[in-house]
Amino acid sequence: MVQSLARSSEANPGWQGLARLSYAMESGRCVPAQTYTRAPLRVQRPLYPEGEGLCHTVLVHTAGGLVGGDSLVVELAAAPRAQALVTTAAASKVYGSADTDSSSQQVDITLAPESCLEWFPQETIVFNQAHYSQALRVDLAPGAIWAGWEITRFGRSARGETFEQGHWRSRLEVWQADQPLWLDRQHLTGSSAALHSPNGLAGHPVVGSFAVLGHQFERDSVAALRQLWPTDQPGDIGVTRLQSGLLCRYRGPSSQAARRWFVAAWQHLRPLYLGRSAAVSRLWPR
Amino acid sequence: MTTTKPQALLRLLQLTSPALPVGAYSYSEGLETLVEQGVIATSNDMLHWLTQELTYGLVVLDGAAVGLVHSAAAQASLGAQPEFSVAEAIAQLNHQLSALRDSEETRQQSWDMGRALVRMGTHLHPDLKPWFSAAGSPCNFAVAFALVAARWDIDASSAVLGYLHSWAANLVTSAVKLIPLGQTVGQEMLLELYPVLEAAGDRAIATQALDQLSLSSWGTSLATMQHEVLYTRLFRS
Repeated sequence: MVQSLARSSEANPGWQGLARLSYAMESGRCVPAQTYTRAPLRVQRPLYPEGEGLCHTVLVHTAGGLVGGDSLVVELAAAPRAQALVTTAAASKVYGSADTDSSSQQVDITLAPESCLEWFPQETIVFNQAHYSQALRVDLAPGAIWAGWEITRFGRSARGETFEQGHWRSRLEVWQADQPLWLDRQHLTGSSAALHSPNGLAGHPVVGSFAVLGHQFERDSVAALRQLWPTDQPGDIGVTRLQSGLLCRYRGPSSQAARRWFVAAWQHLRPLYLGRSAAVSRLWPR
Repeated sequence: MTTTKPQALLRLLQLTSPALPVGAYSYSEGLETLVEQGVIATSNDMLHWLTQELTYGLVVLDGAAVGLVHSAAAQASLGAQPEFSVAEAIAQLNHQLSALRDSEETRQQSWDMGRALVRMGTHLHPDLKPWFSAAGSPCNFAVAFALVAARWDIDASSAVLGYLHSWAANLVTSAVKLIPLGQTVGQEMLLELYPVLEAAGDRAIATQALDQLSLSSWGTSLATMQHEVLYTRLFRS
């Protein structure tokens, strides 16, 4: 079944999706001043559930998932003082492919002084035999803030699928003034020791990270986020401070547990880094 | 393998000795958490954990950085001021090592040990001062280690192997205390680890840039984050 989804590069070069959005302030309203998309990526009309100053954008992948040869590029920019939240309409699926035919997603975020962009996609499900690499790079001007999460599931674990073959690679980099604040470069190869060893996934299918960069947090915030983790939920968590930022990590069986905790953490932190409360997107599963 | 001269070998032994006053013995890099949680309970668990760290853990990046900083410094004359491009390359490597550490305690560990070695190195060799300045402050331990190794005429492969060995020996000593294990078991573990250390050293030396390397280190990263709130702590990481 997985084989039938694989597409050879000769037969089809794959989708080369693109979404380019640039936010700016226009008389107190944050608007996507420039919007350009190429299939299979699309954006819905801007939404303002939190008032005019903060624009919500929903990215839609109209083809349902990535197959071998597909590449997605998302370029987001914010002008001074613009505030935006970007999410995705559904979980992102990466199907199995031949190892010569990998798929990729690249997200570039450029933030002007005093702007803020929140990148809150739904989970990524990496099917067995997927060959996938994702890269996310953020460039922060002075006073700019980036918050984001990534939740990844290896294999459709609900149906007992594990990541037996394939390769996954993720690079997450946040820079300010040509210096890296946080570099997170991870990889996972199907059936490798890292899937089961305590150093890596310890047999769990889900990992997630939620980070805020560009703000110096007090130690109290770290303690508060640990308290927000409900101890009856499955999985392991960790919270720590980064260089001008904060990081929460999850490893366990449940993307729902990870997302709920990240949402609670975001609701706690947002008044601290943005001076406004957080409204939960209606798109996110409860 | 290498053409280490007798006196360079002696200086390598000094640089990698537990007696080096940088406080290495006070850090466990998440091991204390894992022993407390019962994840590491035997010498086999410990050996597995060390082997995996040496394959895709943070120490792989540190080892590669030792090699890269060493080769940047060894091409120049350490008695002179570093050229701008060399200084820039060393500063970039130092920034990357700080940004790659995803828990506050392991970042602080590297900076504290680095500061101690910079202080000692500057005292022993005032001509190293512009090199430490080039790296920037805070200076990560691996960067300071590589600069002192180059100044002491220790070749790059020996410096990297020495760095990895002192890292492993320190954690084995911690495991002997924490699990606890017999002293001889600790020595057996080190002997068993040598093929892994050799392979890790070869990979580190072959690395041209740190962004070629990626980790699979969620578990260790969680353990170091959780160490911040461990109830009783013998170690500082």
